[in-house]
Amino acid sequence: MTIHLPSPETGARDQAPDQAPARTRAPRRGGRGGAGPWLVVPAVLLLGVFVVRPLLRTAELSLYASDIIGNPTRFVGLTNYGELLTDPGFVRVTLTTILIALLGTALAVTAALGAALLLRRRLPGGPAFSIVFSLPFAYSAASASAVFAGLYAPSVGILNVVLAGVGVEGPAWLSDPVAAIGAISIATGWYEFGFAFLVLTAAVRAVPPEVVEAAQLDGAGGWRLASRILVPIMRPSLLFLAVTGTISGLQTFAQIQVLTRGGPGGATTTVVFQLFQLAFGNGTPDFGRASVVAVVLVVLVTAVTVVQFRLLGGRES
Amino acid sequence: MLGVSAAARVAVVVVLAAVVAFPIYTSFVSALTVNGEIARHGLLPGLGSLTLANFAEVSRSVDLVPQYLVSIAVVTLQTLAQVATGALAAYALVFPRWRGKGLAFALVLLTLAIPGESIVIPNYELVSAIGLRDTVLGVALPYLAAGYPIFLLRQAFAGVPLEIWEASRLDGAGDLRSLVEVILPACRPEVTTAVVWSALSAWNGFFWPLLITDSSSSRTIQVGISQLAASEASDPSVLFAGTVLVVLPTMLLVVLAQRLLVNGLARGVLH
Repeated sequence: MTIHLPSPETGARDQAPDQAPARTRAPRRGGRGGAGPWLVVPAVLLLGVFVVRPLLRTAELSLYASDIIGNPTRFVGLTNYGELLTDPGFVRVTLTTILIALLGTALAVTAALGAALLLRRRLPGGPAFSIVFSLPFAYSAASASAVFAGLYAPSVGILNVVLAGVGVEGPAWLSDPVAAIGAISIATGWYEFGFAFLVLTAAVRAVPPEVVEAAQLDGAGGWRLASRILVPIMRPSLLFLAVTGTISGLQTFAQIQVLTRGGPGGATTTVVFQLFQLAFGNGTPDFGRASVVAVVLVVLVTAVTVVQFRLLGGRES
Repeated sequence: MLGVSAAARVAVVVVLAAVVAFPIYTSFVSALTVNGEIARHGLLPGLGSLTLANFAEVSRSVDLVPQYLVSIAVVTLQTLAQVATGALAAYALVFPRWRGKGLAFALVLLTLAIPGESIVIPNYELVSAIGLRDTVLGVALPYLAAGYPIFLLRQAFAGVPLEIWEASRLDGAGDLRSLVEVILPACRPEVTTAVVWSALSAWNGFFWPLLITDSSSSRTIQVGISQLAASEASDPSVLFAGTVLVVLPTMLLVVLAQRLLVNGLARGVLH
C-alpha cells in the first residue's frame, strides 16, 4: 500500500482521491459509513434559506411596485431601476458611499502600516504600544460611532475643546456637509485601524529575518528597507485590507445612523442608509425600490471582489 | 546616529498612539468624572471629580441590563450554532467522497461574497411571518450558519493527515466520533479562531438586530448604545459611560489575548 501524504499547505484534499486512485479508502462499517456527506446538510440548508433565497427574493422584489405596507403588488419590470438610477440624488448617494469607503480604508491602512512598521524592531514600551494600537479593534461600528458622537457633539463635544487648546478651531463636524463626510470617514478609519494593525503586525512578523538582514547588508535602512523590501512582501495583506475595508465601507450604516442620520441635507446618506430609509424608515415602506438599492450594493461589492481576483491573479502569474 | 533615529521612531510612535488612544482615553475619563470636567480642566481631571454617577445614570436611562443579556444570548446561540454547523460541513467537505461536494463548497464561497446588508428585506419578511420578530431567536436565526467558519475549518481539516482520519475509521469510529475526538482536537487553534470570529461578529452585529427588534428590552446592547447616542448627545459623560460598558468585554479580549488575535484572526483571514 502506498502512503499518500497530502501537503498541508495546498489544502487541496478534494483532488487527492483523483490523483491517487490506488489509495485504499477506510472500510465502511455498519450503516454509519455513508453518513459523512450528510453532515453538510444543516449548514447548506441554513445558508440556502437565509442567504441564497433572500438574494433571489431581493432580485424578484426589485421588479415589483409596493403597497402601503411594503408588500409587492404588481410587476413593473425595470421601472424601479430606471427611476432610481436616473435620480441624481441616488447617484450622489452612491458616490458618497464610495468616497467614505475609500477615505476610511485609506486612513486605517496607511496609519496601521506605519504603526506596524515602526514597531517591527525593539522599542522601549513596544508591547504596550502594540496593545494601544490594537484597542480600536474592541469597538464595533455602533460603539465607535457612539464614542465619536460624544467627541463631535456641537457645543459640548470634547474634540473641538481639545483642538482649541492647541490653537486649532475645529469645524462644525456634523452640520457642515464636507466636514460631516470627514467626520464619518475618521470614525470609520479609527475603528478599522485596530483590525488593520493586527493583520499588518502578523504580516510584519512573517517577513523572513534573512531577507531583512540581506537588505541591510546592501545598505538599505529605515525608509528604503520599508518601501523597497517590507511593503512589497506585505502586499497580499495590504491588498486584503484594501478590499475588505472597501467592502465593509460600501456597507456603512451604523456611523450614519448614530452620527448624522444621513444629513446635513442628505450629504452623508449612504447606500445602506438609503435602503434602510426606503424599507424601514418613517415613511411608507417601499420594498421594491429598497430592493433595487440592495441589488446596487451587491453589484458594487461584486465589482470590488472581481478587482481583487484580477489583482491577485496578476501577482501570481 | 542610531540613537537619533531610534528617538525619532519613539517620538512618531508616541504621537500616533496618542491620536489612536484619544477617543478611548477621553471617553473613559469623561465616563468616570462629572459632566464637562474635561472641558473645564483639560485632559487631566482632578481626583476629586471622580464619580460613578454616569454609570448609575446610564443604567437608569436605558434597559442596559436586559440588553446585555440579549447580546450574551445572541452571542452564545450564534457562536455555538456557527461553529457546530461549520465543523460538520467542513468535515463533509474534506473527508468523505461524494458527488456534489464541489457544488456545496461553491455555495459556501458564494455566501462569503454576498454583502449581508443586501439581503435583510426577505429575511425580515420571513422572520416576521413566523412570529419571531422582537425575540432573541429572531435576532440569531439568520446567522446560525456562516460561510467564514466553514471556510476556515475546511482549510484546517484539509491540513490534517488523511492517515489520522483513516486510523480512527479503522478503529470503528463513526463520522461524528471521528470529527469530535480526532479531527477537532487536531485543529484546536483554528477552532479557537472560528469561535472568536463568530462571537465577535455576533456581539458587533447592528443592522439586522436594529431592524428585527422593536421593544427596548429585547434589543441588543449595540442597538441600545446607538439609541443612547441619540438621546444623550447633550450629556456626553452618560453616553461615554454607556460605551465603556459596551466595549469592556471585547477590550478585555484585546488586552488579554492580543497575541491570539494576531496569530489566529489576523493570520487566519489571510488564507
